[in-house]
Amino acid sequence: MDPSLPGRAAHEIVRIGGGHDEPGHDEPMTETTTEQRTATVAFTGSRAELTGIILRGYALMLPTLGLYRFWQATWKRRFYWQNTVIDGEPLEYTGRASQLLLGFLFALAVFVPVYMALFYLSMQETDYLLAGYLGLGALLWFFMGYGIYRARDFRLSRTLWRGIRFNLHGNAWGYAIRRFLWSVVVFATVGLAYPWMASSLWRYRWKHTWYGDRRFEIAGNWRTVALPFYVAFFCNIGVFTAALVVLTGLKDIIAIGRVQVPGPMSSLVILIAVVFLLLTLAYYRAHVASRMLSTVSLGEAKLKVELPTWPLFIQYVGYGLAIVVVVAVLALVALLAIGGVVVASGVGSTVQGADGLAMAFQSGTLNVVLLIGAYLVVLATFGLLSEVIIGFGWWRLLARSATIENPQSIATVKASTEDTSLVGQGIADALNVGTY
Amino acid sequence: MEFKGRYQNGLVAEVRDVHCVLDLAADPVSLVILDQVRGDVLDRWPATQAYLLHSRMLELRIANRGKPPGARIAVSGIDEMRAAQAVLPNLTRWHRTDAARQALILLVATVALVAVILAYLFGVPLISDRLVAVIPPSWEVKVGNTAAQQIEASISSGKGYRLCDPDPNSLANRAISGFVTRVFAGLDSPFAPTVTVIKTDIPNAFALPGGKTYYFSALLQASQSPDEFAGVLAHELGHVYYRHGMQSLIASSATGLLVGFVLGDMTGLSLAAAIGTSLIDNRFSRQSEAEADGFAGAAAQRLGYRVSGLADLLDRVAKDDAYSRALALFSNHPLTDARRKALEAMADVPLADQKPLFTPAEWDAIRRMCGPPAPLWSDWIAAG
Repeated sequence: MDPSLPGRAAHEIVRIGGGHDEPGHDEPMTETTTEQRTATVAFTGSRAELTGIILRGYALMLPTLGLYRFWQATWKRRFYWQNTVIDGEPLEYTGRASQLLLGFLFALAVFVPVYMALFYLSMQETDYLLAGYLGLGALLWFFMGYGIYRARDFRLSRTLWRGIRFNLHGNAWGYAIRRFLWSVVVFATVGLAYPWMASSLWRYRWKHTWYGDRRFEIAGNWRTVALPFYVAFFCNIGVFTAALVVLTGLKDIIAIGRVQVPGPMSSLVILIAVVFLLLTLAYYRAHVASRMLSTVSLGEAKLKVELPTWPLFIQYVGYGLAIVVVVAVLALVALLAIGGVVVASGVGSTVQGADGLAMAFQSGTLNVVLLIGAYLVVLATFGLLSEVIIGFGWWRLLARSATIENPQSIATVKASTEDTSLVGQGIADALNVGTY
Repeated sequence: MEFKGRYQNGLVAEVRDVHCVLDLAADPVSLVILDQVRGDVLDRWPATQAYLLHSRMLELRIANRGKPPGARIAVSGIDEMRAAQAVLPNLTRWHRTDAARQALILLVATVALVAVILAYLFGVPLISDRLVAVIPPSWEVKVGNTAAQQIEASISSGKGYRLCDPDPNSLANRAISGFVTRVFAGLDSPFAPTVTVIKTDIPNAFALPGGKTYYFSALLQASQSPDEFAGVLAHELGHVYYRHGMQSLIASSATGLLVGFVLGDMTGLSLAAAIGTSLIDNRFSRQSEAEADGFAGAAAQRLGYRVSGLADLLDRVAKDDAYSRALALFSNHPLTDARRKALEAMADVPLADQKPLFTPAEWDAIRRMCGPPAPLWSDWIAAG
């Protein structure tokens, strides 16, 4: 069936197939335009289910030497997409893990030369070394813009709703250049130009986003970003300056052994400043996303998002606390292990087994295994926590705070031609961008 | 033989509540999709072409190969799901074959990765020898100088080393450089190592690529005889001669890349490379330590001193206290029994002509270049 058939030909084919000769096939459409309705978005997934997916992924990553991560990412996306129910119909993710794997291999082709350049640089004199690293950093930053856009393209073009595919047109290199030049401006203006950068990139992304044959529009501009940004920006500068003044005034420093650490009062001041930072971060994210997304429309249908600040803040605090607990537990385990070895080697001269243990450590194999094990455990735990608390939290909050006005108008969107780009997200996978 | 669901034709963004009925009389057997309210036929799906997609819990999503890629029937609720599976018994077949296909891809990729790792593990020690031969010595000297600057900054927290004897023409420094010259004489090495003795509490000595060699005062003061001092120094010079530093740099960079690939995070390379380095160090260290020991043994033969001094000194420093042994858990080249035996075997070869390495005045100057030497054990025992 040719999707480029003009007008409502595709609609007609269905009717003809039905065998009923209805005289007014315009009827459902007039119905939709007269009735004013607001559609809601629901999220039906649970944290337990997501945790299960992630843990199963970790278990399978061990025997596959990490390659299962592409399958895990696919399962995670299926979970998020399928449980996001917009106006009664869930999203569908049609991407394949093998596409991600392929994309990763492509990205590797880009990164091996970069890595070799790094190796070459590490052998140069210190002055060149710094300049070289800075240059490579800039190059990586530029590639990241490309990667982010391609990742969005990959996800959108593999997202179906009501049987119609989303898509992202536009040029990923163009986006990368835009992002890079804007970040130079932002850097030069000590961050003050950020609202222009953010709105420019938001607009580029959304103006090239399509649902079937219909294009998204975004009305937000720098003013939409400016208020939340400047509030957060200047509040933080104020609070951190105040904290610094108080800290230098307090001179509340105690020594534990030879190490100088802040005393209880100073710690309290630092804690307050950090909590304030988290609060403003939550405020900023919630408000910018709400204000910007509320200017997005698809034809007659208008998106409205009202993200609350407090639940987001609670997520951040929860994540912070979880990290503290995990680090404390890991440190305790490490301390016990090292203490055990010290004791074992201390009495090693009399106890055969302990001596053997100390020897095993000295042979080098055991400590490498332990090092890798510890590294993987830390990596996995932090990954799990950030996904389950922050990632899941954000997605569910965003879904539940979104409504769509005039959802009926979307019913006339038609499928567009197939996008057959096979390669996955490519560079994005290697750069580790794109959480979902 | 019917079930209820939501139907999307994949052409327009419209959802209809439908009844699905199997038409066994049709050829091929087809699933007739009727509007729930009006009862008109919306579409006919070839029944054998229907397949199941992944979906959330308590929902079936059915697609059809003979229809547009977005065409779906969604079935919710256990009763309707059972009914749908009864109507379309082959629904899960594609699901199963797809799972098998994905598992196969994963298996092939894993086997390929294992092959790469094995090729690497066995190949890189061979290749790094060859690669090192390709790298010009002047380059290696440059690498060594950069490393020297970085190490100096990190060891002395930016203040610069405290040299034991800054005068290069002092008796002690001339005696040491004379020893280095004698060790490297006739070896046809592109490097001319320099030895710097540094004031620090850590008993250690190391050599950087290109020849910059450092001997720490704590180790010097622990040396009881010229043989011990010369043994460790000759060992470090062996690392310079065989270009071990460069070899391990190449090998650990390659390992870092591989580890980065396995972890899938190319931006986290520094951490990955750190692990890679420790992995490779352990694999390489034993071989290169043995080579450096061999070098020290050959030098001892030529110059006429006992190489077992090397083992004695390392042993004494390591056995100093239990803590340093516990810390040695992170050290990459402890004195293993095997290494000690090899050294003693070398020392067993009778020396052709034993002659003193340093004159008594020279050895005394070396011992005193970092302040008064620690009392000898023998003196101590005699006094006690």
